Amino acid sequence: MRRIASVALLTLLCAATLAASASAQVNWKQFQGTEVRFLMNKHPFTTFIEPKVAEFEKLTGIKVMMEVFPEDQFRNKRTIELNAGGKLDGYMIMPGQDELYFWKAGWLQPLGDFIKDPKLTEAAWDPKDFFASFTKAATVDGKQIGVVINSETSLLAYRKDLFGQFKVKVPATMKELEETAKFFHGKEVDGKKMVGITLRGKGAAATSQWVDFLYSFGGSWTNAQGKSNLAAAGSIAAFKFYGDLLKNYGPEGGTMLHWAESTSAFMEGKAAMIYDANVFKSLYENPKESKVAGKVGYAIIPAGPAGSVPHVSNWSLSINKNSPPDRQKAAWLFLQWATNKENSLGAMLAGVPAGRASAWNSAEYKAKDAQPDWTANSLKSFEMGQPQWNPPVINVPEIRDITGQVIVEAIQGKDVEASAKKAAELMDKKMER
Amino acid sequence: MSRTVSAISQFMDRRQALLYPAPAVIVLFLIVVLPIAFNIYLAFTKWTVGLGHPVFVGFDNFIDLVSDERVWNGVKVMVYFSGLSLALEIGLGLLIALYFNREFRGSEIVQAIYIFPFAATPVAVALIWRIMLNPEIGVLNYLLRSLGLPGSLWVSGEQMVIPSLVLVDVWKWTPMITLIVLAGLKSLPPDPYEAARIDGANALQIFWYITLPMIRPVLIAALMLRSLDNLKEFDMIYTITQGGPGIASETLYLYSYMVGFGFFKAGYGSALMVVVFLIVLVFNVVMNRMRLSAQDR
Repeated sequence: MRRIASVALLTLLCAATLAASASAQVNWKQFQGTEVRFLMNKHPFTTFIEPKVAEFEKLTGIKVMMEVFPEDQFRNKRTIELNAGGKLDGYMIMPGQDELYFWKAGWLQPLGDFIKDPKLTEAAWDPKDFFASFTKAATVDGKQIGVVINSETSLLAYRKDLFGQFKVKVPATMKELEETAKFFHGKEVDGKKMVGITLRGKGAAATSQWVDFLYSFGGSWTNAQGKSNLAAAGSIAAFKFYGDLLKNYGPEGGTMLHWAESTSAFMEGKAAMIYDANVFKSLYENPKESKVAGKVGYAIIPAGPAGSVPHVSNWSLSINKNSPPDRQKAAWLFLQWATNKENSLGAMLAGVPAGRASAWNSAEYKAKDAQPDWTANSLKSFEMGQPQWNPPVINVPEIRDITGQVIVEAIQGKDVEASAKKAAELMDKKMER
Repeated sequence: MSRTVSAISQFMDRRQALLYPAPAVIVLFLIVVLPIAFNIYLAFTKWTVGLGHPVFVGFDNFIDLVSDERVWNGVKVMVYFSGLSLALEIGLGLLIALYFNREFRGSEIVQAIYIFPFAATPVAVALIWRIMLNPEIGVLNYLLRSLGLPGSLWVSGEQMVIPSLVLVDVWKWTPMITLIVLAGLKSLPPDPYEAARIDGANALQIFWYITLPMIRPVLIAALMLRSLDNLKEFDMIYTITQGGPGIASETLYLYSYMVGFGFFKAGYGSALMVVVFLIVLVFNVVMNRMRLSAQDR
């Protein structure tokens, strides 16, 4: 017995020394005096991390210059600066949107060598803790090029007060979704006429939500031969269903609804349901801005003929391939620090859906969580999510734009088959891979 | 030493005509001529920003744009939007200028208030119109419905979007036309009017046979000034619709922006810009001819 105890003690001691030596190997001061520059999108994660940068500077002696711009400006500036080759060491990226383009342009530094190097990465950083689907999404040609800082999927949000009042079941299939939208459409609640559901309908912007319907109806962006699949039966069914849903049971002027218009219709209490990004929970549940705070339930996308297939997307931090090696390594230390367990949990508690399972499962977060159905369904979506939420091409915006035209025409009640066929031909012509 | 100084000063004396404008010429060259030249060069290349370097492709971009449906849609939208808004702005501008061109109590205050829309920042104004035109929460539909009339889709409707944008443009820019025409009216000589009145001409005849012919060069000048901006109207349309719904309000200018800065296809986008430039140029050359011949008459 004593022997067992001493062996156990010895093992523990060994493990402790190992762990200590592993973490001791990263010399955080190794790039003291280096200056790195990051270009950031004005995003909740940036808001969270910016005031903490001083801590990192104190820990490492590295000076971090962080420039923040609103999204449209950020995107323009990032492409133009990367192309011009100025001093830029790291930046935010949505891998599902830009990674192929940036990879081909030679702007993305593979991170594998940094992660493997015990002199640069602490064992405690634990790459396995990140949701696998997001790491997969930030991987091109087998090389990881980003670390997730914000994880997203889409959820069906519904008015649980009205669903209770009218004894309506949460839709589990696409057919039920349509019936539920129909049931609520035109109902008077508190003297106001409701709409059944609100969705994005504005061309290219709508594709990132429509894509979940595309997959759930058995469609896809491209077929096995790499040709456009927009005119396949499943894809056409998705265009039709989505267009009809918004046209028949949505707000007026559906073709001009971006996420801001769609979410505000829901927050005004005008819509019984909305399908959009899960991160908008922070809008719906904000009592200062939203009339429906505390009255919202969350569910995963209803099942179509091909099941429930939501997409997952994420913002990641990447390192510029053209930055000199020392600055790249200094930038990696920053990236590693910004995404460590402690900061991920901090971000999670500040309302930024982190990319680490440990943050989602932490006791601190669970104690604070006011919408456990949101948490449970978001996690469910992350597990089964499809990372290919954009067409697998270099020129993503152009192909999204082509696809968006079909969505617009579906909402306008035009001939969906003809316009899908036209879009597929155009996509085949314009696709760059 | 003093010899060199005097040599320099002599050199400067002799070349004043070149030296003094030089700084301005250099700056203009750098910020106007060079970008335009580069744009024209890019129009003959294929280049996605970041992916390699511009590759010379001759007239390929121009051949492609002839078969690009969105180019033709862009031209159609441009003609529809500009034709309707310019006609209304000139017509209304002239009528209102005629109305203002007489003494009445408080005319100065009325005129000062009247130019507000034209003085306001275009994007700020467009943002407000965007909300007013919203079919669900906009004040325009609220007013229509409170009068018992059906609401309109405004900029959310495929058919209504251009007339709605024209409404905003006319509201904003008619005052500018009015100001120009009013200045023209005030400078007209009084003699022909006295003669006409003695001959017993009525108000309509005076307008048709005296005012209109005399004011025509001013009207054409106002039209030219306005058309320069109107043909490449961007901020207002972009702020309110971004070319939507679908591509129903996507002018050629908006489409070229989309191609250049949305898709980052600098070559094709530049070619589209060259076409916009040519359209504006040709329109203005024709207008200028008309203005000169109107003056000669």
